[in-house]
Amino acid sequence: MQIGVALRLIPDASGELEIAEGGKDVDREWIDLKLNEFDDQALEEALTLKECGGATVVALAFEGLGADRLLQTALARGADRAIKLRNPLGDDPPARGAARLLAPTIRDLGLDLVLTGVLATDGINGQLAPLLGATLDWPHASAVSGIRFDAGAIVVRQEAEGGFSTTLRVGLPAVIGVQAASRPIRYVSGTKLRQFIGEKFAPMGSDADSGDLGTELVRLERPQSEGSAVMLEGDADTVAEALHTLLIERRLAKGAPR
Amino acid sequence: MNGDVLVYVETRDGAVNPSSLELLTAARQLADALGGKVDAVVAGSSRGAVEALAGIADRVLTATHPALEQYIPEARQALLRSVIVERNPAIALFAYGVAGLDLAADVAVRTDRPVIDFCTKLSATGDEIEATSLIYGGKLRAVSRARTPAVAVIVPGAFPEAQPAPTRRTITVEIAAPPQLDALRTAFIAETRPAEGEVDLASAAKILCVGRGVRDQASVAVARQVADALGAEIAGSRPVIDNGWLGKERQVGKSGSRVKPKLYLAVGVSGAPEHLEGMSGAELIIAINTDAKAPIFGVAHFGATCDLFDLLPALGERLERGQEA
Amino acid sequence: MAASTVVLWTLVFATVAVFGWRLRRLARAMSVSAPAARFDNPSERLRGVLCALLHQRLLNNRYSGVLHALIFSGFLVLLTAIAQSFGSVMFPGFSLRSVGGATWIAWLQDVFAVLLTFGVAMAAWQRCVTRPPRFEGSNALDAYLIYVLILAVVVSMLIEAGCRIAGGDAALGAWRPVSRGVADLLGSVGVNAAAAADGQRVAYWAHICAVLVFLAYIPGSKHRHMFLAAPNVYFRSLAPKGMLPGAPTQSADAANNDEGVGQLTWKDMLDVATCTECGRCQAACPAYAAGLPLSPKILVANLRDEVIGAAGDASERPLAGGVIQQTTLWACTTCRACMEVCPVHIEHVPKVVRLRRRLVEQGDVEPMLQEALSNLQQSGNSMGKPARARARWTKDLPFKIKDARREPVDVLWFVGDYASYDVRAQDGARKLATLLHAADVDFGILYDDERNSGNDVRRAGDEGLFELLAQHNIEALSGRRFRRIMTSDPHSLNALSHEYAPLGAHYSVVHHSTLLLELIESGRLRLRPADGAVVTYHDPCYLGRYNGGYDAPRRLIERAGYRLREMARRRENAFCCGAGGGRIWMNDGASVERPSESRIKEALALDDVRSFVVACPKDKVMFVSAVQALGVADRIEVRDLADLIELEGDARSTTPRSVRRAEGRG
Repeated sequence: MQIGVALRLIPDASGELEIAEGGKDVDREWIDLKLNEFDDQALEEALTLKECGGATVVALAFEGLGADRLLQTALARGADRAIKLRNPLGDDPPARGAARLLAPTIRDLGLDLVLTGVLATDGINGQLAPLLGATLDWPHASAVSGIRFDAGAIVVRQEAEGGFSTTLRVGLPAVIGVQAASRPIRYVSGTKLRQFIGEKFAPMGSDADSGDLGTELVRLERPQSEGSAVMLEGDADTVAEALHTLLIERRLAKGAPR
Repeated sequence: MNGDVLVYVETRDGAVNPSSLELLTAARQLADALGGKVDAVVAGSSRGAVEALAGIADRVLTATHPALEQYIPEARQALLRSVIVERNPAIALFAYGVAGLDLAADVAVRTDRPVIDFCTKLSATGDEIEATSLIYGGKLRAVSRARTPAVAVIVPGAFPEAQPAPTRRTITVEIAAPPQLDALRTAFIAETRPAEGEVDLASAAKILCVGRGVRDQASVAVARQVADALGAEIAGSRPVIDNGWLGKERQVGKSGSRVKPKLYLAVGVSGAPEHLEGMSGAELIIAINTDAKAPIFGVAHFGATCDLFDLLPALGERLERGQEA
Repeated sequence: MAASTVVLWTLVFATVAVFGWRLRRLARAMSVSAPAARFDNPSERLRGVLCALLHQRLLNNRYSGVLHALIFSGFLVLLTAIAQSFGSVMFPGFSLRSVGGATWIAWLQDVFAVLLTFGVAMAAWQRCVTRPPRFEGSNALDAYLIYVLILAVVVSMLIEAGCRIAGGDAALGAWRPVSRGVADLLGSVGVNAAAAADGQRVAYWAHICAVLVFLAYIPGSKHRHMFLAAPNVYFRSLAPKGMLPGAPTQSADAANNDEGVGQLTWKDMLDVATCTECGRCQAACPAYAAGLPLSPKILVANLRDEVIGAAGDASERPLAGGVIQQTTLWACTTCRACMEVCPVHIEHVPKVVRLRRRLVEQGDVEPMLQEALSNLQQSGNSMGKPARARARWTKDLPFKIKDARREPVDVLWFVGDYASYDVRAQDGARKLATLLHAADVDFGILYDDERNSGNDVRRAGDEGLFELLAQHNIEALSGRRFRRIMTSDPHSLNALSHEYAPLGAHYSVVHHSTLLLELIESGRLRLRPADGAVVTYHDPCYLGRYNGGYDAPRRLIERAGYRLREMARRRENAFCCGAGGGRIWMNDGASVERPSESRIKEALALDDVRSFVVACPKDKVMFVSAVQALGVADRIEVRDLADLIELEGDARSTTPRSVRRAEGRG
């Protein structure tokens, strides 16, 4: 049983993000790229499955800034193999192009299950799991928070809104978009990490992809409510009135907008 | 390709999900711009849902098959693919959620259409759509364009729920279940409903958080009433939890929950970095604190320095009146 | 050969055998545990033993110190009685008479018998009546048994001597007032000479038995310290306090694969066997005071029970996470208050760190700590902020700080994570920069090449990550030209001074209080003294206890024109803010009262004190939080040392706006 995990490095959204000159990308000078937190969960889930049932885990990442360290960390955490893919699309490639680049390698490796994070917060043109599933023509499910093997297939728990969840049986091979692993992410000590620092990875796969998404990014902009708070003046009644109106306008409270 | 807009409608217990009703408003705007009709796809037998769509959609497309009675991603993907290929609408709309994740991108690849995610605004002209999407959890917006036919995923709350127009005639069309439904590789096993009374701050859409400024247990009760009137979950910053005024599961902050609600109303919270870490991603932050220099105002979108003991009752009263109206 | 000789030899042999047999588990544990190099520097080591024998630390608690001195000295003197009792029968002809055994030695024995008894009475009083909280969790039964056994030895000796006197040895009676009193008592109840002779024999054998029972009992009792305390003090660590054991490169080896006593050294085994459960460590521990599940005393006792084992064979449980709970290990702030007060020089902190290393290797890391360590791995700071943004705090300054990577500087300022990234500590950094600039100091920083010094990473147990960070910093510093390093962060000070040396890097490092004092005393920094407002000062653990830096900050406060009112817990007894050892990165929800809040309350209890002065950015963060949580911002303000210094004259115009706002002007 071979499990592949597709790992992506994306701009760290927890810090301050500024728009680059030209308005079509974030300013990458001051930010770090970090492992997508959902891909992190996917890796942990793969390792959990490995520990339960003797599967092997292959970590997959695109070449680019930070890729080597990412794959070294995956090996330190317990992945059996790490593969760096050729990438003509630049750092943090859009998921649709990424799916097209991943698919041939996934087939070549003969993987039975591919896990990846349910979403990336900069993925405006589709999320990797469904795109990859459709590209490979494999069954797929997203927002999964628990996987187990069951007689040649997997049983997954899919988290819907409002606390509902659905249990599905999915035949292999399949792609799963992981929301949360079955256990908290284990810490990998600096000592373990040091064992793998220095590992090198030869890029594999094809680098032919136009990257055409069918969409064109026009510009990035900041949301309107930026900067320091707009202060509401007046006594409690006045402020309460202003707040109530504001909430109604934003459809956060019931009532007729005035 | 025509100017039609197709909406995937989600239902639960015979009722149409509010997010789907919001999609239908967007669909109507887009269809009007393109000179087409609004098609609503309802999977599985759901009489109540079909009725609820009367006067809203132009056509309600239903399909019945055992595999459509429960939510199976592969089945719905097959259905939508077949409907979209057959009907060739200019735009297919999905609500952002599990179904949106499972279905939209899959259908886009299989029918060779572009897809735009996380939309809060969507408009169409001629053979193009323009969308504004939230990225990085709402920190930035991306404006993009795509050629139609296209697929778009809309974030809940971006549009108002559609209301039936009394003069609109809605016809119901029974569509054939595609053959793939008999050869699925995915099977439904069970559905679990949420437990009563469990609180999950991380998935709450609205949160009212009280801080040290509320001073005592009794005032927390007042805040709770306002939270109920607002339809929000009540939460607390660390001092409130430490004092035992609220349970640990209601703590927001570095050592509590990290939340990203649509509304975060912070009352008497000063805004220590550990607290901000837990909530600064909220879409709309309103802060009430008598100290004008409180750090919370650095992340809040709106604020006021009036006394919370006067404000809470005043706001609560208005919210309750609004509910009755 | 007299029957009594044979009997006594047999008894002694048997007792010694029992004694040795009962110590077998300790011996085995010491033989399988890790090595420790403690055989150097004998004269220094002996000096320490001498100080301990003179009760240096014991007398810090006057009552206990005195009672122990009485018992201890009594024991020493009574050794002569034991030598006489045993020797005279085991080696017929042996007697101390010739050196005064019946004269001044006898007199001393009587006097010290009384003193000893008085000491035991003081001890019993403390244990039964006063009941100090540090005895909570200590084995009281053991203590009572010891009192009984000691009294048995003493009383039997007095009765024996009394009987001898009653039997007619009046000369002895002249030298033994107490025993003579016993003799008189016996006489008054009608004991004649013959009966007295019998009584003497009985008392003699009772005395022998009491001693032998005592000896046989000791291996299972905290009274082992009788034999073990001096060696334990002798073999104490002479390394700098701030240097943790086990050089990083050595630690990632066999020791880490051992779940049992192999993780600890033979000295650790000796430590836990020596512990007397006095509880002074428990009383000093901030984690214990906060209500966390850590008592240094109980930690040592649990390890001891596992190693020496009251119940059968060693259990199957691993030490880290089994014998000692994970929550216990993570609760330690490594403040070293425990080690500072321990009368037998037990080394608590290295044990905690060694066991933490095991947890880290297993991946059993406290969740919030895990996030901080992951951040440190990825971005070199615990907050997870971009490494590139480290020097952003300098943006607001009206001058540019030299880049020590590009130019030579006199003073290289190692800023530290908190002063760089945390808003509550950044103002202190800006003020210090302003002061250095005003004094025309040639200083620079490493900008984004600086990483967390790794001090607390090492204390959290991740040796590999510490090494990664340290090597990065060493590389960043090598090839740069500077005369010395200055830091405003005592944790960084500690790491740079002591923890980098095993990796081959030696630096001259000073705390900013020392540098500022130098500047003031040489006239390069001209300040406007304050008007004598009263402040209190909190000694940071890593500046004070660890590195002896108590005086420079105090002189600085004085030169700045403030009057210092000290808190009770000061200098080497300062009460930790709770941030060290990685605790600042962990969840402290389990605390009943946070140490920082307890400390603020201590400061508030002092009259007139409006300012709480700190010399560490983590202290600043912790105490600002505490003041806010307690809601006492109107009564006390937390200020950096640098904040106290106001430049005279026109220097005000170079004070950045953010600092002026913080000081409430402009």
